[in-house]
Amino acid sequence: MDGQLLSATFVELTDTMVADFDLIDFLHVLTTRSVELLDVSAAGLLLADPRGELRVVATSSEAARVLELFQLQSDQGPCLDCFRSGQPVGSADLNADPRWPQFAQQAGEVGFSAVQALPMRLRDQVIGALNLFRGTVGAFDPEVVQIGQALADVATISLLHDRSMRRTDTLNEQLQTALNSRVVIEQAKGKLAERLGVDVNQAFTLLRDQARNRNQRLSDLARAFVDGTQVISASSGSPRTSRPGRVGQP
Amino acid sequence: MLLPDIALHSAVVFRAGAGKLAAGSEPRFAAGGRRVHGERVSRHGNAIARERGAAARLVAPVTYIERRGRVWGLIAEQAAARGGRVSAADVCAAVVPGVQVSGAWLSAGLDAQAGHLMQVTDEVARQLADLQLTLGEGPLLDASGSGGPVLASDLADGDSGARWPVFAPAASMAGAAAVFAFPLVVGAIRAGVLGLYRDRPGPLSDFQLGDALVFADTATLLLLDGHERPADLGTYRAEIDQATGMLTEQLDVNITDAFVRLRAYAYVNDIQLADVARDIVARRLRLVPDSDLPPG
Repeated sequence: MDGQLLSATFVELTDTMVADFDLIDFLHVLTTRSVELLDVSAAGLLLADPRGELRVVATSSEAARVLELFQLQSDQGPCLDCFRSGQPVGSADLNADPRWPQFAQQAGEVGFSAVQALPMRLRDQVIGALNLFRGTVGAFDPEVVQIGQALADVATISLLHDRSMRRTDTLNEQLQTALNSRVVIEQAKGKLAERLGVDVNQAFTLLRDQARNRNQRLSDLARAFVDGTQVISASSGSPRTSRPGRVGQP
Repeated sequence: MLLPDIALHSAVVFRAGAGKLAAGSEPRFAAGGRRVHGERVSRHGNAIARERGAAARLVAPVTYIERRGRVWGLIAEQAAARGGRVSAADVCAAVVPGVQVSGAWLSAGLDAQAGHLMQVTDEVARQLADLQLTLGEGPLLDASGSGGPVLASDLADGDSGARWPVFAPAASMAGAAAVFAFPLVVGAIRAGVLGLYRDRPGPLSDFQLGDALVFADTATLLLLDGHERPADLGTYRAEIDQATGMLTEQLDVNITDAFVRLRAYAYVNDIQLADVARDIVARRLRLVPDSDLPPG
């Protein structure tokens, strides 16, 4: 456990008061730090959409299959159970776990053997769940679970105690805005992937790096790129120029 | 500043913060007869979970599919009563009893200011729509800008007054006590805005908010392609958004047209939208101009 990184992460996760606070950037930090600190293969964050679905908002990996695995849990999986009960839900060996057959199978295809879902909860309010995956079979170290929960707790408290978020209305506004921003980011990933002939995961990395370089929020750059008001080049990453795939012309 | 060593013992943090929040573990009854129940959690969790004590708010499993089916039913009833094909205007009429508001209005267009008023349910709604255009401020303009809803459950409170110093008192004069604005968007695609008002202050319940969002989603799809029955978007799939982005390049069109073309291709060829999107993202399928026509 990297104590310095842990301290720095807690400071990061309480920093919701900045003027250009962006919920997606904030939750993205939570997932990437979870991977760095907890020695897990992937982390993802799902938030409760009032429509009645859990929706992926941030992940440590944007690989399509991984993203799909997180999103699948709107139907079944540890995140859904965790969200509904408000309690941590885990599995030390998904292959031998009968609870979520489709989820376990897809997790296995991506190379994940164990899972832990941790609630983003403050008292009676559950706003989502943090999801950790590991490639090896075995129970999660209790310390990992505890620190993972502490990260989720601090993020939740920071969000719900933020002065501007104390109104339920404001929290709902922010969550919906974040969900729509997530859609904009997906649209931008597709456009950039097609333009540069890279996969969507590489496109996301490019988008994120360029947002950082330009000191811009990820969702703002994504929107400007989709609207055509900002250009993104292949200056970082290693795009291919070929465009594989057949033409779907009748 | 929350020091890391304190944060690690998050139970301390929870105690420290507990007094600032209202306890809300009472069972709640949402509008429409659905029960959103609280339930005592008895499982022996870790120290953190025990410290929390209060029952988790367990959301009764109102799934997206159920909610959407019910909302579509209400919209279809409106169209049937009117004797016409389902249109965005029916959403406006159906949402009023659907989420128990006093009135609604819907404007179509790229943004609230450039958009045109398609439908209003009453005179107050018309005045609210006009006010925002005249004053250049208001919840619908903000919703259109942010891409997220703007929920002003009490126009007389300080927050609303600070946000819209001219609109808030003018809207109160017109007879509105609460205004809820929903942008009709799919990511960067903007189709219009849906406004709701109440003549008494008070927030939408979680249940009503969920319904209102689905009414808005349906209006968005109806405005974009006007199919009688909106094509089933199903459970949210990132591939649909990614494929839409890819099509802007393949077809050299804007994001709105790319989305319409994607849906048209699925509809005309009778393939699930998610399957078409998956093939496009996996580069098994490329669309070229006019490729939404059926084979042969």
